Formats: sequence, structure tokens, C-alpha cells
Amino acid sequence: MWHRCWLILTGIIFAGSAAADDGWRYYGGDQGGRHYSDVSQIDRENISELEVAWIFRSGDVEAFGDVMENTSGQSTPILLPEAAGESLVYCTPFNRIIALNPDSGTLRWQFDPEIDRGGDRPFRCRGVSYAEELRVATGSHCRHRIYSATHDRHLWAVDAVDGTPCAGFGEKGSVPLFGEEGYVPGDVSTSSAPVVANGVIVVGSSVVDFARLKTPRGTVNAYDSFSGALLWQFDPLPGISSSGGANVWAPMSVDEKHGLVYLPTSAPSPDYYGVRRPGDNLYANSVVAVELASGKVRWHFQHVRHDLWDYDSPAQPILFNWTREGEDVPALAQLTKQGFVFVFNRLTGEPLWEITEQPVPPSLIDGEQTAATQPKPVAPPQLLDPNLTPAQAWGLTAWDRNDCARQIRELVNLGNFTPLSEQLTLMFPGSLGGANWGGGALLGDTGILLVNVNNVPFSGRLIPVRDDVSSAQEKQEHPGAGQRMRVTMQGSGYAVDIGALQSPLGIPCNKPPWGKVVAVDLFRGTIDWEAPLGSVHELGPMNSPFQINLGTPNLGGGIATAGGLFFIGATMDRLVRAYDTASGEVVWDFELPVDATATPMTYVYKGRQYVIINAGGHQMFKRGYGDYLFAFALADKK
Amino acid sequence: MRFCSLVFIFLAAASSGHAATITVRNESGNALAQVMVSRSPVEKIALDLSDDGYPPNAVSNQAATTVTRFTDTEGVVRFNDVPEPVVYRARAQGYVDVTFTRADDDVVLKKMTDDQLVASYPSNVWLSQMTFGGDLELKKRFELNCAFCHQQASLFMRNERTVEQWLGVFERMNGYGARLPVDDQEKIAELLQEEYRSLREHPQEVPPPRQWETHLADIEMTEWPIGDGFSQMHDFLLHPNGNVYVGDNLFDRIYEVNPDTGQYTVYKVPHPEDARVGGILGNRFTVFPKMNNYMGVHSFAYSRKDGHIFVTPSMQQALVEFDPDTKEFSTHWMPEGFYPHTIRIDDKDRVWFTLAVSSQVVMFDRSEKEFHFYDLPGRSFKERFIINSLPMIFWMDPENRPIPDPDRKGTGLPMPYGIDIASDGIVWATRLYANDIARIDPEKNEVTMIDFPYQGPRRLRVDADDNVWIVAFQDSLLVKYEPDRRQFTAYELPVINEIPYSLNVDKKRGRVWVTGNQSDTLLSFDIATENWKVYPLPRQRFFTRDIEIAESDGAVYTTNSHFPTWQSEGGQPTLLRIAPIEVEVPVETEH
Repeated sequence: MWHRCWLILTGIIFAGSAAADDGWRYYGGDQGGRHYSDVSQIDRENISELEVAWIFRSGDVEAFGDVMENTSGQSTPILLPEAAGESLVYCTPFNRIIALNPDSGTLRWQFDPEIDRGGDRPFRCRGVSYAEELRVATGSHCRHRIYSATHDRHLWAVDAVDGTPCAGFGEKGSVPLFGEEGYVPGDVSTSSAPVVANGVIVVGSSVVDFARLKTPRGTVNAYDSFSGALLWQFDPLPGISSSGGANVWAPMSVDEKHGLVYLPTSAPSPDYYGVRRPGDNLYANSVVAVELASGKVRWHFQHVRHDLWDYDSPAQPILFNWTREGEDVPALAQLTKQGFVFVFNRLTGEPLWEITEQPVPPSLIDGEQTAATQPKPVAPPQLLDPNLTPAQAWGLTAWDRNDCARQIRELVNLGNFTPLSEQLTLMFPGSLGGANWGGGALLGDTGILLVNVNNVPFSGRLIPVRDDVSSAQEKQEHPGAGQRMRVTMQGSGYAVDIGALQSPLGIPCNKPPWGKVVAVDLFRGTIDWEAPLGSVHELGPMNSPFQINLGTPNLGGGIATAGGLFFIGATMDRLVRAYDTASGEVVWDFELPVDATATPMTYVYKGRQYVIINAGGHQMFKRGYGDYLFAFALADKK
Repeated sequence: MRFCSLVFIFLAAASSGHAATITVRNESGNALAQVMVSRSPVEKIALDLSDDGYPPNAVSNQAATTVTRFTDTEGVVRFNDVPEPVVYRARAQGYVDVTFTRADDDVVLKKMTDDQLVASYPSNVWLSQMTFGGDLELKKRFELNCAFCHQQASLFMRNERTVEQWLGVFERMNGYGARLPVDDQEKIAELLQEEYRSLREHPQEVPPPRQWETHLADIEMTEWPIGDGFSQMHDFLLHPNGNVYVGDNLFDRIYEVNPDTGQYTVYKVPHPEDARVGGILGNRFTVFPKMNNYMGVHSFAYSRKDGHIFVTPSMQQALVEFDPDTKEFSTHWMPEGFYPHTIRIDDKDRVWFTLAVSSQVVMFDRSEKEFHFYDLPGRSFKERFIINSLPMIFWMDPENRPIPDPDRKGTGLPMPYGIDIASDGIVWATRLYANDIARIDPEKNEVTMIDFPYQGPRRLRVDADDNVWIVAFQDSLLVKYEPDRRQFTAYELPVINEIPYSLNVDKKRGRVWVTGNQSDTLLSFDIATENWKVYPLPRQRFFTRDIEIAESDGAVYTTNSHFPTWQSEGGQPTLLRIAPIEVEVPVETEH
């Protein structure tokens, strides 16, 4: 009882502390993942003067050598408030927490949780979280805390000022996120940052995708931010014992004022076969509004019923103010891999754009009962066209175009939500999206949402297997660039075979752009502009000396600023770019040593605006790795 | 007669189920009339679907029958012979659907919200507000080419799409066989985006659909699910042997349904060993996971002489004959002609059918086993040239044939479509794109073309007075042609912006039945009084292409033939019968 009162009290205290400032205190810019900064020092006029301010290297490459091939640099730093030391803090793929001077990039402190590096799952860490713990005296150790959930399933609390573990939190600063079964390398890990609000830490997980019929359950845990005591758990598959997963791997959002945390849940296991998990599989593939204090579900929306496509909720729910035609509603926008944008009243779950039920094709797999309809918002439009006909095949030459037309002609292709069968089937979008974990950036209060979208087709099928045991080569969760992937879904009697739909030249079979930025007007429900994202000049047999902006697959997100700019890396060309938010024109770019598959951030420190991006490469893109953190700023004229 | 009915009812009541009486009210406790109450069995009936998901040849299955009735003015609906367990669905205009399993208590329906209400409206009322920028001809071309498989303006058509996405849709649909003129595509894409958006923003402009009426309490609808979401139940035939023969156009199967028992048996239409999917037309649906239309079962007619059933296989130059007694097929190969379409048989047992692509009507003389072709004239030199070139075009491999580049007149494809035969032996046929009617006098071997003063003459039927009834597809009209007076009379349909596909005439009762594909209805026109009755159908997107009428009681049959079928509500094709409810005296009074 006392505990509940404390949570309410801290909620009231914290409720006033979420005001915007010149910093970037949360992974997504604010607790609602808007990826927006009202800083405008860097703008369309002076962007050409942007230059490297400093570069920091974490040392991972030297320390971990070849293991780096199984990493991706996805971290977005946060800038701590002055009282917490005003450090720039981020994590490396091995969950080392690093605090830097914001203006020089020099190291202030670091903490290494020395994670268990067993198992085959890739190493990644999208970020850490900060909170001021009011139950600790001002000026005391761990009044200001950094929370980090690690690959090996530990939740750490360390002091924001010196990086040492908070002794009173769990056991010597950490609590295990696994149960009595212990940590099983390769089964469950963590990728996104936990969220902290009103004295509660909420932690998701990353569960092995489809190697087994029943994988570990994606239970979401909530802990007391002071002690690390478990407060509540959210079961994403209540009443379903034959499946697992449905975990929350994407970044979560918090409405601190209303005491709600928004959980974007993923697909149930196994991704592509649902015979043993009949029904809608609620709360998988949903956005679930849960009360921070109690873990009670306030509302939910399931955007894929009975998922057979690996259409996880990939993106952080975006919390914003809906001001349309006199309405002023606390709203939430959820991006999906399907390329849909669903918009809700975030307090009630009522759709702000009507959601229609779209009839979808049935399955040919014995016993598979697909949902008869799937939800689709009446607006905005789908961010990519999911149809691909032989006549729409694309190629550099008649030869590869014809080959693509042949491949498309041989595919089962019934549009959105075509289930895989034993015949090769078009997967467009595939599990890459559409949108992915980069989410979207909301341009202030304009209702313009800037989203990076993947636009590459895949093909896949289910292959009956006698030997129901996966081989050592079947450890992938997604096909790498240009590859086919085959994974046995143990217990299902099937292996799934998935690969990019591409010509013999390795070029996607659809018309470019293969990656793009889309500016969506959420209030009007329309698309304002689209622009290619990424150059393919490094993807051919030899590098081109100039950019070829046909777009590339992309992972990571972008941020919008009041300077009228949209900064984004994410591409397979080592470039970080700035787009003019009004026109979609690329007004600046910079070549990094490796791909920047992370979301940038920005802040003003000592009167100077910095744009920061992590350049670490991505194991899926297979284009090299690194341990760089780049800071850009306008030339210092002092 | 009355005694027989009572005995039948007694036997039915005594057979397996029980009677159920359901009262439906609104939240204020007032009785609701014209509530559509459907009952379906809960338990799945085991089916033998071992032939690629379909019943093997000559294997029988039992359909899980759904029965629908409407409440009377007291809000009461009664079902006899209710098996256990069942699930009921109550649906009423303006109210949220309710499902329930027990009939004991009153059923209460909640009013829809304003948003739910307008979203629940059928496509036709939404489509009625699409003006296409005031260009009515453009709208009609859109309807002609885009409304023969799908409902337009349905809630998922109204989704926001970019102009490029709409153009992609048109390209895909033209690849499947639509013929939306190239010159119109950009403009239509822009208008669809603009006007759907405007309608979404001003839904108050959408008029409510026609209200359901009291006559519904007098009928019962029975649905027999057959096939699956990949099937397309096209035309069918009510045979004097009591069975209904339904053609699955995409899987070369004929479903022989016994409406008395709900049992059905499937017969696979044989095809030559070297036939390919899609027949000589080529497979336009390679993207579908399964498709076995080597022949393309299209339309049915039976011989009054021996009961044999004749079937047009659209994908071949042939005519298929099926003996319903021996279950044997025979195929009559034609020396020419493309796309056998609608079929009828005259009093002399001659088989007549249209050839939609080669612009012909053909007569098959059963005694001589010979085909006699009637060439319908081309509208221009270009059209004659295209039609004359067809043998060469079809000689080419389907994958390498030139893709049609349709113009606004559908040049090259006047498309003979519906056909029927008058009592005087005159054969009548429509040409959909040419907007004319062919009058064929077999005795004089004479063909006369008559201009049809409306647009989109799709199917036609002859009534008891030998007047010809025609649906004008994109003109949304039922049209009567009186041959003696050479006069056309048009009748407005009772629902707005309907796009009528097919019709049939109940000669005995003097009624014309018209398919209401955009409004999920069947429409019934009394020839004498010129009054309409409207019958709402139990599934949304209940797209129908054929109607058959039982002479004995006037029961009307149709099939759920949306394409693709999975887009219809429930995703299940059905054979549906609308029959008058016999006056039923409660069984208890006889004991």
C-alpha cells in the first residue's frame, strides 16, 4: 500500500519535469519518441558550414576484434541535465556505458557490465535511460541514475555522475531479467533502452525470432527505480500456452502525466507458422497502453491478427498533440512494418483516423486459420506500394529486367498479408519493413511526420522438413544483404526460406527508390513528399566515384529540428544526410567511415548546437563495423 | 396442399432440431422489425478436401448450412428445425451486429455511432456521391471497367492512396483482364484520390441506403458454403432433377448441390493432357497460389430433351456436355471462336452461346454435332482487323502476346455477352462494349443489329411475352425492349448507383430479378405494377453474377461470386436461395 502511494507521489512530482529544453534527455528526444528538437541554430541557410566537431572511438574494435562482425552500432546518446553532470551518455553493442564531454567528446567515465558474450545473437544497444531518483538525498551517490538493460539480461543502475553501480539497486547495482531458469545465451537478449518514469522502470526484451515453435515468452517487467524490486509483469500472450515471443523489443514510450507506458509488441513464435497458436494471438503485434503504476492494460490495438509475416510493432509509439479541426487530443502514432501509420487518442485508444477491416487471403497450409481481415487505416496512405507485377519489374538492362519479370511471375502474390505457403511467395514489405525501429520524427506541432521507409521486396516459402532440428548454419533472424536465409522452425515441420527478390546482378526487382524518406501529414492524412534515401554507389561490384541516389535498405532513424532539417544516417552508403523538411531536398551530407545504422540526436551545449551520430555498421548489412561517435557543429568562429 | 405442408412441418420439427423464437429489441426496449437473423452451425462439418484443398471428383460432402430470416413488426423471428449447437447473428440497419447462441432471452441491439453508421453503408451510396469532377461519361467508363469484379467505394477502396498507388492498381487490374482506357487512367487516379478524400471528410453527404422493408419477414434465405476463398462460383443452373449445378470458374469444378439435404458432390471438368492453366487465353493469374482453370467453367444450360447440361468453357474453343445421370463429360471442340460465354438452349434442342472475344454467336446442332457461327459486325475497320487477327494473336505463346492497349470504346472487343431465346425461336444477344443487341433469326439465317440507347448491355432475358429485358450496366437501368413495337423502356433501379450485372425473369409470376452487386441486394421488379422489392443479402460484398428461379415456388437462387472471393464477408463462397416462407401452423396444435 505504502509502495503504491509512493508511486503516485513520485508520479505527481515527476509530472512537471518533462518540459522540453535544449537537451536530448531521452532516447527518442522526449518520452514520446518524437525525435524532434526545437533547436534551430543549424538551419537550411547555414547547413553547408556544418563540420566535424569531434570524433570519439569507444575502443570496442580494438577490444573485441572479430566479434564486432556480429554487432551493430545502434545507440543514440542522451544528454544529461546539469544536475546530473551534463554528460553525453551512450552504450556500445556490448553494453559498455560511456559518458563524454558534450563539447569535446573526451571521456568522463565508463562502466563495463562485462556481459556474457555466449550465444549467436547479434550484439546491439540502442540506448540507456536517465532518471533522477528523488528517494535519494540531493548530492548523494545515485541521486541521478543511468539505467541500462544488457544483452545478457541484466538491468543495471549506475550513478550518472561517476558511472559506478548503485549499490542499493538489486544486488550491487543490477537485477537479473531472467527467471529461475537462468540466462540462456541465444534465447533472449535486450536491444532497446528501458523506460523510466514515476519511479518505475519498464524493460522489454528481444526474443529469438522463429527457431522454435515455442520460444521464451516476451514478458515485460517493471521494477522500482530505487530498489530494483519487481513491481509488475505484463504477459503479452495471456491464455496462450503454445507460443512465445510477442515481446517488446522496439523502444517504448511514456506519457508520464497520465501514468501510461506504451508497449509495441512483436509477433508470436514462430513468426511464419501459426497452426499451433490459433486465434488472433492477442496482445501480439499490438500497441498496448499499460498503467505505469499497476501494469493494468488500459487499451490495446492489434495491427496484425494471427501474424504470419514477422510484422512486429517495430517502432517507438510517437506521442503528440492532435490539433485538427478544433480538436485537441493527446495522440499516439504507431508506425508498422506494413507501412501503415495508425493514429489514436492515446488515453482511450480511439482511432483518430478510421481503421478499416481489409479482407485478406487465406492460407494453403494445413490447419492454418488466417484472420479473415486485417486492419488498415483509411489514411494516411500506405507508405509503400505492396503490389508488384511482372510488368513493374525493374532492371538496369533488359536482361535483368526480364529475369525479374520471370521471378515475379512465378511468385504467389496477392498483396498485403499473403501468407507463406510451400510455393515461393512475394513478401512486400518483408520483415525489414516498411518502417522499422528507427521510427519517425515529428516536425514540431505541424503534424508532419518524417519516416524512413524500406522499399525492397523479398520472397519466401515454407519447406516441409523431416529433420526437425536446425543446423548450425540456421542462426539468422533476418536475411543479410543479398542472401537467402533458411531456418527450421523446430516443432512445426517446416523450415522457412526467405531472401531478397533481386536480379542476377543483385539489384532489387522493383522500381527504385529502395529506401526513402516520406513526409506524412498526419492531420490531413496525406503524403507531402517522398525522396530517395541512400546511394547505391558502394553496392555494385566496384564503387562508383559519385552518388547514385536510388535509395538503399535502411535501419536507424532520423530527427527533425526547428531549423527545418531532418538528419538521418541509416543507409548502406556510409553517409549521414540532412534533408530540407519543406521540400525533401538533400541539403548536406557527410561520409562516415562505416554505415551509421543509428538514430542521431542533437543538443545545444555552451551555446553551440551539436548533431551526434553513432557510426558502427550493422551485422545484417555486412558492410564493415566500427566504434565511432561523430559530432557535427557549425564552424566555431571564436 | 395445406395438409401436406403440415405433415412436412411436423416431420421437419420431429427430425432433429427444435423450434426457436427470438425477439429483438433496441436499447429502449422497443421491438425491432426487419432485423436479419442468421443461424449457423457451430461445429465444423468434416469435409473431404483432399484434392488440393477441394473435394475429389465424385466425392460427396455435407454443407454447413446457414439460414437467415427477418423479424416481423413485433420484432420476432422464428426458426424451425434448429440443430444444436448454433450461433446466431442479428444484423439491422443502424445497429451493431450481435452474435449469440441461445434464443431464450430477448436480443438487444445497440445503435451505431455516427461514424459506425456511415461506415456501414453499402458501396452504392458512397459511389453515388463520386462525381468524377462532373464528368459522368468518365465515371461510367470507370464503372464499366472496374465494377465487374469488385464493389467500388467500399470501405477499403476508400482508403487514401497516392496517385501512383492508384495507377499501380490500374496496371495490375488491366493485367488481370480489365480494360480501363489508358487515356483515362491518370485522371481517374487523381479523381479517386480527391473525391474519396472529400467523402471521408464530409461523410454527412453520403445518403443513407434504402431501408429494409416489411416483406422481408415473409422470406427465408439459405446459404450453402461451397469451395473456398480462392474459388469463384460463377454461373449455375437449377436443374429439373432438383439439384443446383454451380460452376467454380477458377477450378474447373461443378458442384452438384442438393438443396433439400445440403449435400453436394463435385465433378471435375476434364481437360486435354496438354492444356495449360488459363487455357488458350493464358494464365493471367500466375500470382495466385492455386488456379486450375484449364477450361474455365462459365455458364450453364440444360436440354429439355434429355436433361444433359451444357457448359461454356471460356478458356477453350469448345463446348462441354455433362450427363447428370451418368456423370460423364464429353467435349465438343470448335473449329473457331474465342471465349465461350453465356449459353442457352432453344426448343429445338439447339445450343446457343456467345463468343465474347471473337464477336460471334454460335449454335451447336446436337443432332449433327456441328457448330454454326454467326459473325456479329465490327464497328470499324480497326475493330474488324483486330477481330480477324485473333487467330494469329492466339497462335502466339500467351506469355509473348501483345498486351492490349484499350481505348475508350473498347475497340476490338465489342464483347457479345448475354443471350436468351424467345418462344418464337428468335435469339437475342447483347454486346457490352458496342452498346447494341443482336437479333438472330435462325430460320432465315439472318442477323440484325439494334442500337441499344443506353450503356453497358450486359445480360438479357426474355419474358413470357417475348419482351427482352436487359441490364444497362454503367447506366444503372433495367431496360425492356418490345420487339413488336421496337421500343425500349428504361426503369430506374430502386437503389441508387447500382451497377446491375445480371438478371432473370420469373415468367410464371411476371417478375424480373436483378443483381445488386454494389448494394448487397437482389432486386425484384413486378412487370405488371412496375413496383420493386429489395432483398438485402446476408453477407457484405455479396457479388452475384447469375440468378435462377424455381418455377414451383418462385424461390430465387444466386451465388456469392466476388472476385477475389476472400474479399467478401467471411471469405466463403456460397450458393444462396431466397424462398418464401410457407404459412406455418405451430406443430403443437396438431397434437
